[in-house]
Amino acid sequence: MTRREALMLTKNGFGGLALMSLMGSFGCSRFKSPAGINPSGLHLGAPHFAPKARSIIFLYMDGGVSQVDSFDYKPRLEKENGQNPYDKFEVAATQFNNIGTILKSPWGFKQYGECGMWVSDLFPHIATCVDELALIRSMVSEFPEHTNANYFLHTGHGIQGRPSMGAWVNYGLGSDNQDLPGYVVLDGGLIPPGGLDNFKSGFLPANYQASILKPGKTAIPNVEPLEPAQNIQKSKLDLIKQMDHSLVGKIGHEDEVAAAIDNYELAYRMQASVPELTALAGESEATKKLYGMDSSDPHLAGYATQCLMARRLVERGVRFIELTCPRVEADRWDQHAGLKDGHERNAHAVDQAVAGLLKDLKSRGLLETTLVVFAGEFGRTPFAQGKDGRDHNPSAFSIWLAGAGVRGGTIYGETDEYGYRVIDKPTSIHDLHATMLHLLGVDHEHLTFRFSGRDIRLTDVHGHVIRDILT
Amino acid sequence: MSGTKFQIIKSHLKLISWLQTQYVTLLATLMVFACTPASEEESIQLPDQISYNFDIQPILSNNCYVCHGPDSSTRQAGLRLDLREWATKKLDDGKRAINPGNWKKSELINRVSSHDPEIMMPPPEMKRNLSAREIALLKHWIEQGAQWEPYWAFIKPEMSETPEVVAKSFINNEIDRFLVNKLETKELVPAELTDRYSLARRLSFVLTGLPPDPVVLEDFVNDPDSDAYEKLVDHYLDAPRFGEHWARHWMDLVRYADTRGHEFDYKVNGAWHYRDYLIRAFNQDVPYNQMVLEQLAGDMIETPRLDRPSGANESVIGTAFYCLTEGKHSPVDLRIDQSERIDNIIDVTSKTFQALTVACAKCHDHKFDPIPTTDYYSMYGMVESTRFTLTQAGFDEKRKLILDSLKRDQSSIRNYIVENLTDEPPANLKSEVELHDISRYHIIGDFRDGSLADWTPDGISISNAMGNPVVSGNLLAGLEPAKISSRAIGKGLFGVLRSPGFIISEDSMLFRAAGKNSLIRVVINNFQLIQDPIYGQLQTRLESNELQDYTIDLSMWKGHHAYIELLVGDYRRRKDKGSHEYDLDPEAWLEAAYIIGYDSLSGDVNTETVTSSITGGSTLLNKWSSGNASPNEIAALDGWLASSNTEVPGLEEWANGQQGRGRRLYDSSFVAGVTEGDHIKSPVFIRGSLKNLSSYQVPHRYLTAVSDTTKVFQNQGSGRLEFAKKVADPDNPLTARVMVNRLWHHLFGRGIVETVDNFGVQGKIPSHPELLDYLALKFMAQDWSIKKMIKFMVMSQSFQRVTTPSKSSLVVDPENVLLQHYPVRRLNAESIRDAVLAVSGRLDTTMYGPSVPIYLTEFLSGRGRPRISGPLDGKGRRSVYQAVNRNFLSPMMLAFDMPVPFSTFGRRNVSNVPSQSLTLLNDPFIVEQSKYWAAAILNQPEDFEARVKSIYLTAFSRIPQEVEIQEARAFFKEQASLLQSVTKETYGEEELWKSYCHTIFNMKEFIFLI
Repeated sequence: MTRREALMLTKNGFGGLALMSLMGSFGCSRFKSPAGINPSGLHLGAPHFAPKARSIIFLYMDGGVSQVDSFDYKPRLEKENGQNPYDKFEVAATQFNNIGTILKSPWGFKQYGECGMWVSDLFPHIATCVDELALIRSMVSEFPEHTNANYFLHTGHGIQGRPSMGAWVNYGLGSDNQDLPGYVVLDGGLIPPGGLDNFKSGFLPANYQASILKPGKTAIPNVEPLEPAQNIQKSKLDLIKQMDHSLVGKIGHEDEVAAAIDNYELAYRMQASVPELTALAGESEATKKLYGMDSSDPHLAGYATQCLMARRLVERGVRFIELTCPRVEADRWDQHAGLKDGHERNAHAVDQAVAGLLKDLKSRGLLETTLVVFAGEFGRTPFAQGKDGRDHNPSAFSIWLAGAGVRGGTIYGETDEYGYRVIDKPTSIHDLHATMLHLLGVDHEHLTFRFSGRDIRLTDVHGHVIRDILT
Repeated sequence: MSGTKFQIIKSHLKLISWLQTQYVTLLATLMVFACTPASEEESIQLPDQISYNFDIQPILSNNCYVCHGPDSSTRQAGLRLDLREWATKKLDDGKRAINPGNWKKSELINRVSSHDPEIMMPPPEMKRNLSAREIALLKHWIEQGAQWEPYWAFIKPEMSETPEVVAKSFINNEIDRFLVNKLETKELVPAELTDRYSLARRLSFVLTGLPPDPVVLEDFVNDPDSDAYEKLVDHYLDAPRFGEHWARHWMDLVRYADTRGHEFDYKVNGAWHYRDYLIRAFNQDVPYNQMVLEQLAGDMIETPRLDRPSGANESVIGTAFYCLTEGKHSPVDLRIDQSERIDNIIDVTSKTFQALTVACAKCHDHKFDPIPTTDYYSMYGMVESTRFTLTQAGFDEKRKLILDSLKRDQSSIRNYIVENLTDEPPANLKSEVELHDISRYHIIGDFRDGSLADWTPDGISISNAMGNPVVSGNLLAGLEPAKISSRAIGKGLFGVLRSPGFIISEDSMLFRAAGKNSLIRVVINNFQLIQDPIYGQLQTRLESNELQDYTIDLSMWKGHHAYIELLVGDYRRRKDKGSHEYDLDPEAWLEAAYIIGYDSLSGDVNTETVTSSITGGSTLLNKWSSGNASPNEIAALDGWLASSNTEVPGLEEWANGQQGRGRRLYDSSFVAGVTEGDHIKSPVFIRGSLKNLSSYQVPHRYLTAVSDTTKVFQNQGSGRLEFAKKVADPDNPLTARVMVNRLWHHLFGRGIVETVDNFGVQGKIPSHPELLDYLALKFMAQDWSIKKMIKFMVMSQSFQRVTTPSKSSLVVDPENVLLQHYPVRRLNAESIRDAVLAVSGRLDTTMYGPSVPIYLTEFLSGRGRPRISGPLDGKGRRSVYQAVNRNFLSPMMLAFDMPVPFSTFGRRNVSNVPSQSLTLLNDPFIVEQSKYWAAAILNQPEDFEARVKSIYLTAFSRIPQEVEIQEARAFFKEQASLLQSVTKETYGEEELWKSYCHTIFNMKEFIFLI
């Protein structure tokens, strides 16, 4: 076959080939895995039942937002401010074990919305959306250190190397978009402790791992061609394609090689689709303002962009999107000291953008099919670390969900009078994962992968769907 | 293994008589049902003799064992199907699950055939149904008497007769006989042999991970000798590149990394020494059973294997195997942290060497394999009884000789002194000793009697200094009192002294010690990453010339199991080193007299000066020189010498000589390793909980499924050596099979047992069980030689076949399990990168040494990010030498499926993701290498055709076809005009060759083995 003939065969040369239906987060239908994935592509041919959510946006609050300073109002802390916690309750060892006195919240709380949810002054914008939120005040984790808690939150296991929730979702359901990865992490500036392994595919095939999108000129590594003009790269690709097809002809038959050829089509398209995604020129000024892109706080402006990007990814059918936090002029939500300043900076950077995202999704009708989750890896202690910080507390924290299938204005679970430990409806990370999968139409007990001789699940052998917060 | 004869039930099925052997693949099975209605049970073809191991157990294991298997904690209805006695006994309702000889009276058949949700098994919520064929198999098996067999992997390999084959011309060795025999039963004809070009490429990549050098390639192609191929095999087996490639395979098993991950990604001390150890071991063809012993118990081997020519201890480096776990710097709960590390070690050990998933028995008995939870906690105790230590990788023969002579001279000098003393002690002496009365406290170590107490030294420098001469010029200025010291033969010499384990029972600990750049460490639950915020106080730096009191507050840790470590050298953070990287200052030393635990000191430790009279005069000197003088007598002599200006001619020269030679012992190459600790038997953690411990303490022993359960290891130390010997025992049914299967996997792309890390019931059954046994036995008979086994495999014709399948093979065996042809394989990540460097001419074949720092892109961020980025091209070194930072893994390696190092990965995924294409298309590394390659091409004579030919030979190991040269010309023309139209300039040749080379890197032929 000559070059001309080969090009004739594929009509317009490279880029003209119809894409095969893609499987998974990121891959090709003829993908072949030694791990015994069924050859039709996705693990589940279809969801187990009708899904409420098509996409998930996971707003990861890195470091552990203090529940008693945000969504879990505890008047008693004010009354007993400065008193010895050992006189009040059993105090468990903490990461720094520098246990101070009971510490009242530096912020006032008010009730909002029809549901009358208490929200602190840290989140004035999110407070205007409380009737969309299902607040869980009874979250518990198993790990008091960031890294394990992060792995646990992201993968359902406290150790490195397990597939993250976004990978599981795409392994189970695949992606609706053929030109973009199905699992995207929008890097706001802070990679969580535990590193990129929070977003990897573990023992699942590599195509299910997250693609990290960074703000800036090149959002994904190597997505920008280095040739001075597109047609120069295309001329290379034409030769590559032609040679590759003649190779397949020579072997007679080989799925893997053919799949690798298809892969170039996707890569080629990504070179266009990723810049198209990140170009916000088409967005109105009102929209940008809604998110806070016009803010003089560069962290808010940056996070606002990421939130808007999340909406654009949802529009493009991307299945799972996670946002990491901006790097403010204080640590992540991890105020071992200087609670007031640190939490305020972090809150200011995300509050308006998150509220803007909820409102924008709603006005476009996307909130009905998009689940938004706002969560950190654990909570903080009601007593001080040192003078004005709070240490890690895996025994109680607050998260919220909104959107697809979620009953807005719900408050679920309860902590003790100090917000230190859960006393009603303890809810585990596994329960959260089970619920997220449920909203996607997946029975968490039946999304498994055989590894190390076991059928492994995101929820291990645990997890119950939190039905009380669902519509 | 049972025979394989097949009953043909219906004549039309003769056409597809390949169907339904006990080894047929799942896909083929599905195809059978596509053409035979499942209801026509009689049309399902079954083997004459049903095999429990290969036909029945997989059905029971996949569908029933979760509730009716080895795990007692989840067992339902008192029914267990993995043992005949249980499965055939009368149940409470009077029925029998299995009634041998009568399937109609077997409740199991009734249940698995039922559609009634109340009765059916597996129950509806399991969403599993047995296929008609599976039910038919169960019925026939019961009719045949329902014979259980011991699990195939737990019985020793048996030599079966090598089968006869019709097509003798397809046979080189026994491997071909086994494979071709099976092909013939399926009426498949083996594919022809591939041409020499592709054969050399295949051989070079699978043996060395690199493409063949064009010169070697052409020589082979033109070699008229009948043994040309064998010569090439030997050439690659002998190449240093061989060990680099096979070490990397092994590193996948042992979750090799240079760092510990977790929050700050601290380094594993000298991990690269272990990588180099592997490379040497594979290159030197160290017998595999020896490698097993060394990695599991290299510190305990009676006669360690020495590196040649250096004479350094190689065996001990193998124990870094244990130290490649993740590491957390400030775990809130140390016992949980310890249990996670140990779990990982159990997981990796059992998978790597035995292909068993023992870690599945942490919370309950193994659900599928006969691995009780006590097996897990037996191993747990062994690891808990093991301490982590540093090992000197570079302590060679030269240093050993110096050390021996120094020690000899250290004792012979005393005789010399006695003979040459210019003065003699008077008959009556007075000893003045400062007595520290510590008897009221918890004495953890007291070295003032001249001993090391019951502590254990490691390294070379620790001894009790009692009576050592204090020299000043030729003056014998005194004698050292009793205390442990690291500087008797010099400073900067590695040494560590560890206490026996104890339970922390007092608030504080006091150390009477001195030293420089050295540490006192309290190691709790084997926890090593001692630092703030929680653990910083568990470590104190020794910085004083004289003995003084150092105290450590342990009130937070009461009740914990701990030991004390006096360590020459420290873990101080330095400019050129990260935290927790051990550093031995050439001036470092330490001394200690005693260590006590206390809640409160009554005043200070009571000190008073006690004076006593000592008689003996010059006989005291003889007592001293023979090492028999008491501490008091030494104090008396010391008092006399201090006041008498006693000279010994030649003493200064001797002392200077000692010091000079002592300095030559300095060696700063350390690698993490292990050593023996206390004998600790672990209780079972009931349901895996640390808060729920059994009263029973599990003795140390080997896995009960494979060995005599009554044989427990001796009641001391860790038992690792005994465990290692059990693994390396020729009677072990798993070890040799597992390893030859790994070799096979790498050479043929798929293991005989496809699940190379799991030979348990949930693994795949072997495709060629007799061949697997044959190879295992041959492996052991050839003294566990890996190179000989690899040679045997690649000398088979089966290795040398073309990759083009026959038409019938595609139908009969689409997965090519039977190896009718050689599989097409994508190169692994390392080979792709190494091949890029090799063809561009930029490969630096320097071997060994510290890992090349990773090239940091802006996408690699987070805590623990290395301060300095490595170069884009990794210095041109092979990928095996590039740093594996757990939290900053190379994006290119990951894109091409290098596993994340957390568990054993004997078999990598082969994924197909756009980041692979994007890397080869747009990554600056690839573009840069294209430029280098183009420059090299331009150095060749100006002959377009010859240059293209050279590119093909280098990159694809073949000669281009005429049409391909034409295509290249057309491409050059097109690129030239495009470049010109974009920039309005005429483009130089280099730019065009660069484009062409870049294109070559992106061809599938470059990254696939065809």
